[in-house]
Amino acid sequence: MNIWDSFKIALSSIWNHKIRSILTMLGIIIGVAAVITIVAIGQGTKKQMTDELFSTDKNAIDIYYEYIPPEDDPEMMFWEEPELTSEDVQTLSKVPGVKAVVATNQGWGMMTHNDEQGEMQITGVGAEFFPARDIQVVEGRSLYAADNDGLNRVVLIDTIAREKFFKESENPIGEIINLNDNPYKVVGVYESPLPEQFRNKETGEMLMPRSVISMMFGNREIEQLKVIASDPENISETGRRAAETLTAVKGLENGKYSTNDFEDYERELNTMISLLTLLIGSIAGISLLVGGIGVMNIMLVSVTERTREIGLRKAIGATRRKILLQFLIESITLTSLGGLIGIGLAAIGSILVSEFSPITATVSPLIVLIGVSFSAIIGIIFGLLPANKASKLSPIEALRYE
Amino acid sequence: MMKLSNIRKVYGKGSLEVPVLHGIDLTIEDGEFVAIMGPSGSGKSTLMNIIGFLDYPSSGTYELNGEQIAAAKETTLAKLRNEHVGFVFQQFFMFPRDNAIKNVASPLVYAGVSKRERTARAKELLVKVGLGDRMKHLPNQLSGGQKQRVAIARALVNNPTILLADEPTGALDSNTGEQIMKLFTQLNEEGKTVIIVTHEEEIAAYAKRIITIKDGLITDDRRVTT
Ligand SMILES: Nc1ncnc2c1ncn2[C@@H]1O[C@H](COP(=O)(O)OP(=O)(O)OP(=O)(O)O)[C@@H](O)[C@H]1O
Ligand SMILES: [Mg+2]
Repeated sequence: MNIWDSFKIALSSIWNHKIRSILTMLGIIIGVAAVITIVAIGQGTKKQMTDELFSTDKNAIDIYYEYIPPEDDPEMMFWEEPELTSEDVQTLSKVPGVKAVVATNQGWGMMTHNDEQGEMQITGVGAEFFPARDIQVVEGRSLYAADNDGLNRVVLIDTIAREKFFKESENPIGEIINLNDNPYKVVGVYESPLPEQFRNKETGEMLMPRSVISMMFGNREIEQLKVIASDPENISETGRRAAETLTAVKGLENGKYSTNDFEDYERELNTMISLLTLLIGSIAGISLLVGGIGVMNIMLVSVTERTREIGLRKAIGATRRKILLQFLIESITLTSLGGLIGIGLAAIGSILVSEFSPITATVSPLIVLIGVSFSAIIGIIFGLLPANKASKLSPIEALRYE
Repeated sequence: MMKLSNIRKVYGKGSLEVPVLHGIDLTIEDGEFVAIMGPSGSGKSTLMNIIGFLDYPSSGTYELNGEQIAAAKETTLAKLRNEHVGFVFQQFFMFPRDNAIKNVASPLVYAGVSKRERTARAKELLVKVGLGDRMKHLPNQLSGGQKQRVAIARALVNNPTILLADEPTGALDSNTGEQIMKLFTQLNEEGKTVIIVTHEEEIAAYAKRIITIKDGLITDDRRVTT
């Protein structure tokens, strides 16, 4: 008698008590389905959150000003952020580990050209912006340092704006456009970084020297400062160094420059997810425990019901080990089957979650493996007692059992 | 050949002790046809179960073919049950969801015989006991006599030397009982040692040796000469 025979006997006995088996498996099914769905969703969420945090700006880190109230007057909440200049950008770009600096400001404007009108977001940049952000200029030129210094009223429009405001055959380079009733010269067209599916809703964006934005809109010349690290691994370290350098260069007293620590973020995110996983995991664990006890209970009932069968098997030569194995395999088959059904439900659940929410939940083969082995182990643990009880029956007393 | 010496059996423990066998000495040669008789409660089934390794004596020795059986060694007893004896019960005892072939073949599963050979052996024996046309029937589709034939085929499937039957005709009418006894006679003539327990003189009359037990002791042991 091999394992396969025992397995077939086990399957047929499960099949012969369909309803009972399903009810018994329910605890395991729910437990496994819960665990796997939660793990799948958890992994999906984590992936999505890390993607959001890191993917767009994997090696860029913000540097911002932080006000520190003077010690003798901590109530003093009135401060002015120091002005940053192209010189500061130069200084920062020389900090070790810094590959590039992105210094920008923002403006909005109503653009009119060829009887078309549209509201445009304008980003003020320096020459260093183009290589740092990997901007592809498809027509004309990019911005020069001289454009900033000379306050040249020139703009680059993106491909979306080009399509909206210019005819295909028309050459936009050198054209004068109207922005908030002021003339600007188009010197280039750059590829819009927006993904294709979002482009038709947008009116497009444009880039212009940040000194011009500052002059025309009254903004500070540098509103947003980012450094890009040459090694993404050391981004937090590089950011800190850049912030310290800037603080020192500016000779600040009641303030300093800081960065967000990505490692902190990631750590926080991880603790949150592990906490959630722990919570759900313990709920699922209790469900599996209850399921396991259910299996044990039904196996004990089964042993009692089949006392005569066990007696007969022993009378025709089954050893204690064979009986033990048979019942153990039966309970393992029961729980593994429950586990498989649970995994199936979890897979369906994950598909639904992925379909109707932004999270992509995936049931990985590893989780499936762990799920099945886990249910099998539950089968072993909770099947041992009933199987042992069955194996210890004396053949003659078992046969006499009414 | 089997040799039982001073076999005693006590059920229960302490104040609940029930002594059933009080020292049985019994030797049965290969090829014998023995009937064990005696009043109800005298210990016939207890003795049969010990002979068939379903139970073990409280004291005394049991030699099979010159070898002493180490009492109460579970695996040894299971192997002996599987290989050396075939047991037939009054209540037939079938696996209710298995057809005749599977029921007959069941001991071979524990002997590690391949499925194909199991089926072949089972079919052969079902033909031998006259059930060639009932092979695929389930136990509840068979009459009592037919079930007992299936049980006999099952007892024979491992080709044991000893066939044990505890009141095999007890649940059958006299006509069917006679047919079963004819089958046992035939098997004995083919060389099997047959030991049956019975209440009925007519059934015992098929045997060549009749042992009578009273209160756990052998009171009579006579050979029938024809
Ligand atoms: N497991 C047991 N525990 C206690 N006493 C038992 C047990 N099995 C049998 N007995 C007792 O042993 C005695 C002999 O029983 P046994 O079944 O051997 O009798 P028997 O000769 O086969 O009787 P019958 O002809 O009615 O079948 C009886 O008094 C019975 O009550
Ligand atoms: Mg009896």
